Amino acid sequence: MERKCLLSVRGLSKKFSKDIKYNMYYGIQDLLADSLGRKRADRESLRKKEFWALKDITFDLHEGEILGFVGANGSGKTTLMRIISDIYPNEIGNICGPAQQKITAIFALRTGMQLLFTGRENIYIRGAMYGMTKEQLDAKMDFIEEFSELGDKLDRPFGNYSSGMRARLSYSIAIATDPDIFIIDEALAVGDSIFKAKCYDHLKAYVKQPGKAVLFVSNNIRKVLMVASRVAVMESGQIVHDSTNVREALNFYIRNCLKHLDEDQIQLQLKKVQEYDL
Amino acid sequence: MSGPQQDVSSLPELYPRQPGSWWASWRLIIHNLRTHRFLILQLVRVNILTQFKRSFIGLSWLFIIPIFSVIIWILLNGAGVVEPGDTGIPYPAYVLLSTSIWGFFSEIYKSTSTLISNNGKMLIMTHFPHEVLIAERIIVHLIRFSIPFAINLLVLLYFGVSFSWIALLFPLTLLPLLLIGTTLGLISSLLRVVAVDISNLMDEGIRLLMFLTPIVYAPKIQIGWLSEIVRYNPMTYLIGFSRDVLTQGIFFEWENYAICSLGVLLLFFLSVRIFRAAEPRILERLINI
Repeated sequence: MERKCLLSVRGLSKKFSKDIKYNMYYGIQDLLADSLGRKRADRESLRKKEFWALKDITFDLHEGEILGFVGANGSGKTTLMRIISDIYPNEIGNICGPAQQKITAIFALRTGMQLLFTGRENIYIRGAMYGMTKEQLDAKMDFIEEFSELGDKLDRPFGNYSSGMRARLSYSIAIATDPDIFIIDEALAVGDSIFKAKCYDHLKAYVKQPGKAVLFVSNNIRKVLMVASRVAVMESGQIVHDSTNVREALNFYIRNCLKHLDEDQIQLQLKKVQEYDL
Repeated sequence: MSGPQQDVSSLPELYPRQPGSWWASWRLIIHNLRTHRFLILQLVRVNILTQFKRSFIGLSWLFIIPIFSVIIWILLNGAGVVEPGDTGIPYPAYVLLSTSIWGFFSEIYKSTSTLISNNGKMLIMTHFPHEVLIAERIIVHLIRFSIPFAINLLVLLYFGVSFSWIALLFPLTLLPLLLIGTTLGLISSLLRVVAVDISNLMDEGIRLLMFLTPIVYAPKIQIGWLSEIVRYNPMTYLIGFSRDVLTQGIFFEWENYAICSLGVLLLFFLSVRIFRAAEPRILERLINI
């Protein structure tokens, strides 16, 4: 049976400014250009003090895949996820997929959650941000209660929750949106081990449903190894490796991070990483 | 799961950004507001109740602040510090009403001008149509204005102001002030990210504008240069018209009010267009500040 493509990213690039003053100056330039409806001629080239946060990113995501993105800090993983989620505008390149596809992304578990409001009230607030109606949230309330396992704690203020409880609730709300593509950007870095294991099991079962896939961003090699069915390694805004052999891809990632060292030092560091993380 | 993969060349662009017509753009805004009305309701609830939850006296502040401001002006008037000119109604009532109407304009400016900077983190972490935030700010503003204004009406009655049937038009006459406050606020919210000097100047300009508008003195004030500024200041007509409709049942300089309102309406459409076009790219610059 043919596997449906849920996301096709072609030649995606994004540039940012390194300097705060230039950042503002270009911001004014772009503001004026956008206001006047003009297309900027220098859209595809770097202006002074700019750099490519993403350069020529190309990949496809098919149903059933959990695609892990790994890369050193600042390699462009979160920027890529924000463009795929339509938070940042896509100016260079194409993002294609089936129309009316639902993409839910969790970047930080606390974002949009209100500390003074109860967990239950936050289900409505956060769920509404994901585009759900009251009727849809009411219908999902039992699932969220059951999945988060928070019980009567749902009626306590969210501000009193531990980081693990926050993770439970935020993750449960996000998955209740039943997305076609679920983006998890370092969002499962906190929380208790039992709940995390439950999430990983859930993700693996989730993508077995037709038309579902996950983009999983993490720097924790062990987590990626446990959950991903494919790994893309990012470096300086580019995908430098993409493989369904997860262990081999993660080894590439570690070696790539250590490439400035000589072979003996690499072996030493690899051993350490394997002791702690793999 | 393995197997042959689908040909991807036929897949449509997920986020096409072709500039649409004004009509298409407004149709999309209305569609987004309709489909996200539950989110608007939730955000309004959070905005109003958060303040209430943090304070022992909560919503009472909505009543206390205007009472303080009117006391100050009554004291200044009693001390003879100000010579307001012919205000038509008792001076404290005049100041109370005028400052309320001015507040209607300046508060929506203040609220919308921090729309991006105050919500930056949420905006770069969650995807939802941002016109929802504009709607939320306007609804919260209307609620925050209505409650103390109802009290103000009682104070006006106490000062002997009587209302005619024409006073029922008062809420409608405030619409241009709501639109100009939102217009300036939206532009300022964009500039607050990339040109903070200009947005700060706009903030100060609004404060200065209050003293150049007949708020604490009458429109017919005769002080040389100030009279000239008052005459060419559009706010004179936007505020004066609303005030006189409510308190005297007359249409103050209605021709000038109509011209200013039309100009405001055009500026509002333009500002929403600019905001929608520029905001996504402004947002990505938030990360560096």
